[in-house]
Formats: sequence, structure tokens, C-alpha cells
Amino acid sequence: MYIYRLVFLLVLAIYIFSPNILDWWTAPGNVWYSPYVIWAGLIAIGFWLEWRRDPNEF
Amino acid sequence: MSFSASGLVLASLVYLLLLFGVAWITEQGMLPKQWVRHPLVYTLSLGVYAGIWAVYAAIGMAAETGYGFLAYYLGISGAFLLAPVLLNPIMRIARAYQLTSLADLFAYRYRSQWAGTLVTLCSGAAILALLSMQIQAVAVSASILAPDTSPKAMSLLFCLIVLLFAILFGARRNQNSENHQGLVLAIAFDSLVKVGALLTLGAVILFQVFDGMEGLDLWLAMNKAASGTMTLAIDDGSWRALMLMSFAGALVLPHMYHMTFSENPSPKSLAKASWGLPLYLLLLALPVPVILWGGQALDVGTDPNFYALGVAQALDSPLLSLLMYIAGLSAASGLMIVSTLALAGMVLNHVVLPVKTPRDQADIYRWLQWVKRLLIAVIIFFALLFHETVGQELDLAILGAISLSGMLQLLPGALGVIYWPEGNRRGLIAGLVTGLVIWLATLVLPFSHTINPLAWFNVPLVPDYSNWHIFTFISITANVTVFGLFSILSASSAEETSAAQACSMGALSRPQRRELLASSSTEFIRQLADPLGYGVARREVERALAQLKLPNIEYRPYQLRRLRDQVEINLSGLLGPSVARDMVHRHLGFKPLARGNTGQDIRYVERALGDYQNRLTGLAGELDNLRRHYRQTLQNLPIPACSVGEDGEILMWNHAMEELTGITADDVVGARLMALPEHWHLLLEDFNRGEELHRYKHRLDLRGKPHWLNLHKAALSGPDHTEGGSIILVEDQTETRLLEDELMHSERLASVGRLAAGVAHEIGNPVTGISSLAQNLKLETDNPDILDTADQIQQQTRRISAILQSLMNFARTGNHAHANRYEPVSIHRCVEESVNLLSLSDKGMGIRYLNEVPEDLLVLGDEQRLVQVFVNLLANARDASPEGGTIRVSGNSDSYSAIIEVIDEGSGIPEDQLDHIFEPFYTTKAPNKGTGLGLSLVYSIVEEHYGNIQVESPANTETGTGTCVRLRLPAYRPEADDTSASQNERS
Repeated sequence: MYIYRLVFLLVLAIYIFSPNILDWWTAPGNVWYSPYVIWAGLIAIGFWLEWRRDPNEF
Repeated sequence: MSFSASGLVLASLVYLLLLFGVAWITEQGMLPKQWVRHPLVYTLSLGVYAGIWAVYAAIGMAAETGYGFLAYYLGISGAFLLAPVLLNPIMRIARAYQLTSLADLFAYRYRSQWAGTLVTLCSGAAILALLSMQIQAVAVSASILAPDTSPKAMSLLFCLIVLLFAILFGARRNQNSENHQGLVLAIAFDSLVKVGALLTLGAVILFQVFDGMEGLDLWLAMNKAASGTMTLAIDDGSWRALMLMSFAGALVLPHMYHMTFSENPSPKSLAKASWGLPLYLLLLALPVPVILWGGQALDVGTDPNFYALGVAQALDSPLLSLLMYIAGLSAASGLMIVSTLALAGMVLNHVVLPVKTPRDQADIYRWLQWVKRLLIAVIIFFALLFHETVGQELDLAILGAISLSGMLQLLPGALGVIYWPEGNRRGLIAGLVTGLVIWLATLVLPFSHTINPLAWFNVPLVPDYSNWHIFTFISITANVTVFGLFSILSASSAEETSAAQACSMGALSRPQRRELLASSSTEFIRQLADPLGYGVARREVERALAQLKLPNIEYRPYQLRRLRDQVEINLSGLLGPSVARDMVHRHLGFKPLARGNTGQDIRYVERALGDYQNRLTGLAGELDNLRRHYRQTLQNLPIPACSVGEDGEILMWNHAMEELTGITADDVVGARLMALPEHWHLLLEDFNRGEELHRYKHRLDLRGKPHWLNLHKAALSGPDHTEGGSIILVEDQTETRLLEDELMHSERLASVGRLAAGVAHEIGNPVTGISSLAQNLKLETDNPDILDTADQIQQQTRRISAILQSLMNFARTGNHAHANRYEPVSIHRCVEESVNLLSLSDKGMGIRYLNEVPEDLLVLGDEQRLVQVFVNLLANARDASPEGGTIRVSGNSDSYSAIIEVIDEGSGIPEDQLDHIFEPFYTTKAPNKGTGLGLSLVYSIVEEHYGNIQVESPANTETGTGTCVRLRLPAYRPEADDTSASQNERS
């Protein structure tokens, strides 16, 4: 269960700071599509994690 | 530019007909199965989440809150990226126990029908706003494109078509497959249309309105206000609320639960969707700012919610307008169909069935199908009613917010299913009721303009479009607090704790080993026929038997417990977990417990651990390896062993036991001792119940042969294991027993031999005396008659001496300590001596022995043991020979070996016995005529002499009779040995 508590903490932290994160993503100097680029980056990480995951893992 | 009402209706009908076609050809099996079950189709079908939000409301929200609209997509994307820890555990439970909705999951986990019903009512109430949002969007979009359409008529028509689709493709129950593949493919098609239309519109605006990316950048630079709205208007509170609701949506929205878990073709698909759905949502969100800016640039007059249509109209493109309208229609219809279907299933299982169980129905499946169809109609009717009375007055965004904050109340309970085993039904119900009451009082009632309960208490805050998120947070906080407090303060039932363990991450349920009232699967059918009717009961029990790969009639207690669980799971898929559990508890009950506690179902736990196999890592994996090691040790123990529970149920049956009894472990593990064949049952049952811990040399006839068994027993209970039961070892002592018998027999023979030797020695003295007297007689007379008689006397006494000498030699037991002190032995003399010994026996008097061995044939060996070889060989030959037969012993030598052949004229040895004749205790003679040791002794003596032995039968191929035993022993040549000795000396 230890790993799940860590995940929970991480998710909570991201959730609490999400408006600030989005502010950072959409800072005036950035191009309009920068939130999408970062979002796509997250998806790529998700894809990579799924791709190298052992099918028997939880 | 506008359309005619009839044209628009026609277009809608054509599109929905296309959707029907897609579903129909899938159901007919016209599409390859790998397409239908492809992860891409599954991922696209999850796009149902976006609904009308994707096409219209997101743009409206972007106009108000800038990038705040992304919260609706990012929340659920986060939930899917966390699928391994969030969605996979739920899917595992949902698949294992056939829990088709969130209400099923709650009713199963919290062991409460009320929990299921409450979830259903909450979902029903919350989803009405979402459905109303879809109806409103379709009606308004139609009226934008064709101002002469009546929104009421459009709403009604849309609802009717959705109803028809849901009834035709969703409410069908396929016995072979729980999935509605036609529906899934149609929804995936919907999603494809949605994303295709939005991307097309985005691209058209980018290139036609802004002339590409540079143009857009230029426009943004010139219109600071427009680009500014995208960044500055994000409100922290509503952003967080929307994020949370969207995150929860992955679990709690009825249509998402249905698509994610109930229609899931494989765990692999969910793994792909964990990044696939976020990618899909990214594509949906990408054109939103462009469309908004396009609308602003073209100064479109419509509400920003409907900019997608407004821009298409402003671009004067009927095709694009129609495409956007169809995209909206498809998004709305997809969400409507799936949510009504999911909700109808929940209402059926948690509102209808607990009130009325179909007892007297001939065909329960058909009854269920019709009730579900009726429920779909009722739900759509209510959605329409809500839309007409309240929904159409409200903004799309606030409708979505009300609906999602209602559904959000289910999140604490859903997370509790996997992460908080301490949560219980009292906490859940109390928390849920609290959250829902606050939601109703602060969001639903004020926004529906009926009453505002907050005004009664003079609360300074009035719910409006800008502060709704505060009430969402208040309701969810109250919900979580009450859930936690009640769960901690109140006790959970044992049943609930067991269900919580079954659901929580990485935990195994530890069922107790209890005896069922029903003693066979046939009795299951009889007992279930009462609530289900005979036909359905039989079909369900047979289905469960087939799923578990059990024989048609099952009687083993362990397998019956598995069967009971499987029947409950299957009925849960059919009637919901509460009704199924109630039915199984009532009709497939356990016998009352004799005392306090029974043992855990070790076999069940072991099987469950076996299913986990490679999923155990780290310490758990190491422990599992140890468990496997010890299990293997017991299984491969060369001594037959079995363990028996306190109630006489066999828990373990190792390989040696299988070999001894000829009964496989699969047949008996989980069964009672009494299920064993009678002789085993009597022996083991008696020994298991008895006081004695050891039983020696118990005779048991197996396969027609007597066996002698030693039994040992030890109790299993100890400081680490409080449960009773015992382990029984069964030693097969048959061979030892036979050897003991043989030893006693040999001992008897040996004493007879020693006696004979003593007697021979005693006889020897008088015979020597007689011989001396005869010699004296010869010296004292010249009478030729007397001399002749004296000669004869001397001859006869010599013969007596020879016989006595042979007898004494044979009786002298072989001294193995001197086995290596071999001397040159004349085979001729050995054969002669053996013949002499055999002639002492009264058997085979008519047999003629021919000793044709050359007198100079010598071997190096122990004479006495070689005599024993020939006595045994000749005795066998004599026993096999007919009366008057001849036994020939011939000898010759090749370069190294002396070859001696003993040939008889007997019946010969059948070919299949030739391989066994040298085995100890193997005999073809009648009982008590032979021990079966003679030839094995011969074999070992010949081996000791570095020789070998062959048997040929028949010896005479013409008559097919006779046996030839050929001995090959190292020959002894005096002169050759001298030479080699002298050579050795020289060297």
C-alpha cells in the first residue's frame, strides 16, 4: 500500500497546485498552444509507462 | 444561411440511421472480430464522456474562463493516466464479480442494498441534468440552423430516436457475451464524427479566417483582449471544482463506468486507453480556442456556446454547418444512449428487483429485458420532463456543473472500495445522504428556481453562476467527513469486512471452509428452482459448472463452494449483487456451525494465490516462492502423504499417494474421506478418527494383491496454526514384508542345511569305519567273491563319502568376506556335484543329466557359489522337463570366456516373461513351489564372477520347446596366467 499512498500524495499536490501549473502553462509570453504541448508531453510519458509495463504487474 | 426544418430532421434521421446501420452490421457479425474488439474502438467509445460539452459548451466556457475549460478534460485525463492504481483495481473487482454498475459495486462492497439504491437514486437525479443538457443542445442547435423548427418537437423526436436505439441495441442480453458490441462500435463512430468535425472546423477557421498560424498570431497580437481572456479568467475555485468533478467522472458517471468496465474487452484495452483517451480529449480540446477566436474575429452573433454553428454559418458553408450540427447530434445521442442504458440497469437491479423478484416467470431473461426497456423509456421521459420544466431555462455549463457535483458525492465511496477497507456501510450512507442533501439545497433547488432553502437561514451567500463551486466543495467536504467519522465510530459486520478485503488492493478474500446444505450440484438446481424456476436454475448451474470446468454432477465440498460463488457471480450479472447474494444466501445456505470457528479454505486461498502468480513482487513474491518450494517438497515426498481437515475434508494428496492409491489429487482434494473408494475410506477414516498415532503392517488388498501398510498420523495444530486437522503418512511395507518372509524361509533352510551337514559329518565316521573294515577284509582273505564284495563295499562307501562331501560343501554358507579369494574351479566337477545333490531329492527321478563339460574347462571363482548356480539352474530345468527328459550341460571356451550351456527339453519360457525372470520374487511356478529368488541369486553370483547370463527360449526352434541358459564366465588358463605372472614379476 506504500506506493499507493505516495501516488495519492502526489495526486493531491498536483491537484492543489493545478491552477498555478496552468497559469505557468498559459503565461503571457508562451504561444497559445503551449498548454497542449505540455499535455501531449504528459500523454507521451503515459504511453511510455504503459508500453514498458510488465503485463503481470498490478 | 439557414436550413428548412424538414431538411434538418431528414439529415438527423439519415445520420441516426447510419448509426443504426453501424450497430446492426456489428451485431450481425459482419465486421471482423479483431476490429470490433480493437483497443482503438474501445478508446474511442470512451469518448462518450465529452458529450455535448465537446462541441458546444467547451467553447462557451472558454469564452468566459479562458483555458479554464481544460479542467473538464484534464481531470479525467489524470484519472486515466492513473489507471493502474485507480481504474485497474475497479476493473478487476467488476470483472471478477460481474458488477455492471457503480451501484452494483457499492452494494457488493458495502454489503447493503440501501447503498446500491442510494447510488442509483443519486445517479438518477444527477444524470437528469446531464441528459437535459444534451436535449437542450440538440434543440437549440436545430433552431439556430433552421429557425422555423419547434424546439419542443425537436426534443421529442431526438428522445424518441435515442429511446429506440437504446432499446434495440443496448437492452439486448447476449448469453454468450456480456458486451454490447454494436453499441460500442456505434459510440466509437460517434466519437470519430465528433473529433473529425471539430478538427475540420478548427482547420477551416485557421486557414480561411486567419490565413494560417502567422495570421492567427498576428490577430492575437492585435486583439490583446481576445487572447487575454484565455489566460486571465481562470478562477481557482471553479477550476479546482471542475477538475475534481472531471476526475471523479471516470469512476462515477454511469456512462463512463458502463463503457470503461462493463463493455471492456480486455485489460490490455484499458491500458491502451490510459493514454489513448487523454490523447483523444486533447484532439477535442485543440480546436476550441481557434473556434472561439474565429467566432470573435467574424463577430458571430450567436451565444458563444454555439459558436461552432455560428462560425460555420458565418463562413457561409452549409456543409460545415450541417457537419457541426451532426457532430453535436452524435455527441448528444451517444451520451444519452449510454447513460440511460447504464441507469436503467442500475434502477432494475437496485430499485425494481429488490421490490419484486420475478418468481413466477417462465423466462426470467425475457422478463428482465422487457423491464429494462420499460425503464429506459421511463428515464428518457423523465429527462424530457426535467428539460421542459427546469433544464431549458439554465445555461449548458451550469447544467453540467449541477450534474457533476451530484455525481461527485459518489467519489468518496468509490475510492473507499479500493483504498479504505475500514469504511463501512453506515459511514457511506450517512456521508452520501449528507452530501446529497447539501447538493440539493444549495445547487439543485436554487438553480431550478423552485425554492432557495439557504434564504430560510439568512445565509449571506446566494448560489449563482460564479460561486457554485463553493457549494460543491461544502457538500463533498461534509460527505467525506461524515463518511470517515461514522466508519471509524461504528463497527463493520464480518461479511462487510470480508467483502472489503476482497475489494481492497492486493488483498485476498479468505473464505471459511463450511459445509453447504446441498451435497451435490443437482441439489443446487433443486434449491435454486424455488426462486428462479427449474429451467433458469438448471441453465445457471450448468453455466457455472461449465465455467469452472467441473463435471456435470459435482459432489466435492470444495468444488461446491466454488460453484456457489460462481452461481452468485453469474446471478449478480443478471439481477445485481444484492438480489443475487440474498438469493444465494437464502437458498444455497451453509450448515449451521457445530462450534466457534471452522478452518480457512486453504485450497481456495492457494488457488487464488496461484492466480496471482507473477503479479507478486518483492517480499510477497519471495514468500510465494517459499510457499511453492514447501508445497513442492510435500508433493514430491517419496512417501505417500495426505492432510485432512478437522471435518474430514482432504486438503492435500501428494504424488506418492496418487501412485499408491491410483486416485488423482484432482479427484479427491476438497472431498471428504468418505468419497474415497471403500477400502481406503474405511482405513483412513478409521485411522484418522482413532486415538492411535501409528498403525503397523495393516493388510490391504489392492488390485488383487496383498499390501502391507504402516500408517502414521500427526496433528496439524500448533502455535502458528490453531486450526485442527491432521497429516497422515502411509508407508508401503509390502516389499519389506516379502523380504522378511523370504529371510525367514532362508533361515529355516539354512538350519536344515547345518543339520544335514552335522548329520553328514556324523555319518562320515561310520562310513570311514566301514571302508577300513572292507580294506581289512581284503587283506584277510583270498576268496575272490569276498574280495569282490569288499571292493563293492569300498566303492559304495566312496560314493557315500562323495555325496556327504557335496552335501557338506553346499551347506557351508558362502563366506562373503572371502568372496574375492577365487581359485581355479573345474566346471565339470561343479556340475557333477550339483547333479549329485539334486539326485538326493525324490523329485524328477526319471530325468537324465548329461554332463558334457570338458574336464579341463576351468574358471576362477568360488566353487561353492558356482555349485549353487548349477543347482538352481538344473533344479529349474528339472522342474520344467517332462518325465524321462534329458538335461544337457555342455561347455566350451573362446579366447577369454568359458561358455556353459544348460539345455532342457521343457515347455520353455513365454517371451513376455523372459525380461522378468531375473527379478527377485518373480516366479512362474505354482504358489509354494518356488520363491522367485533362485534365478536372481544365480544372476547375482554370475555378476560377482564378472560373467553374464543369457536365456534363450525356445532352445529348439523346430519343436518350439526347451530353454537354453548360457553362462559366460572368464576362463582360467594355468599356463597363460603363469606367463602373465612372470611378466608381472619382471616388470
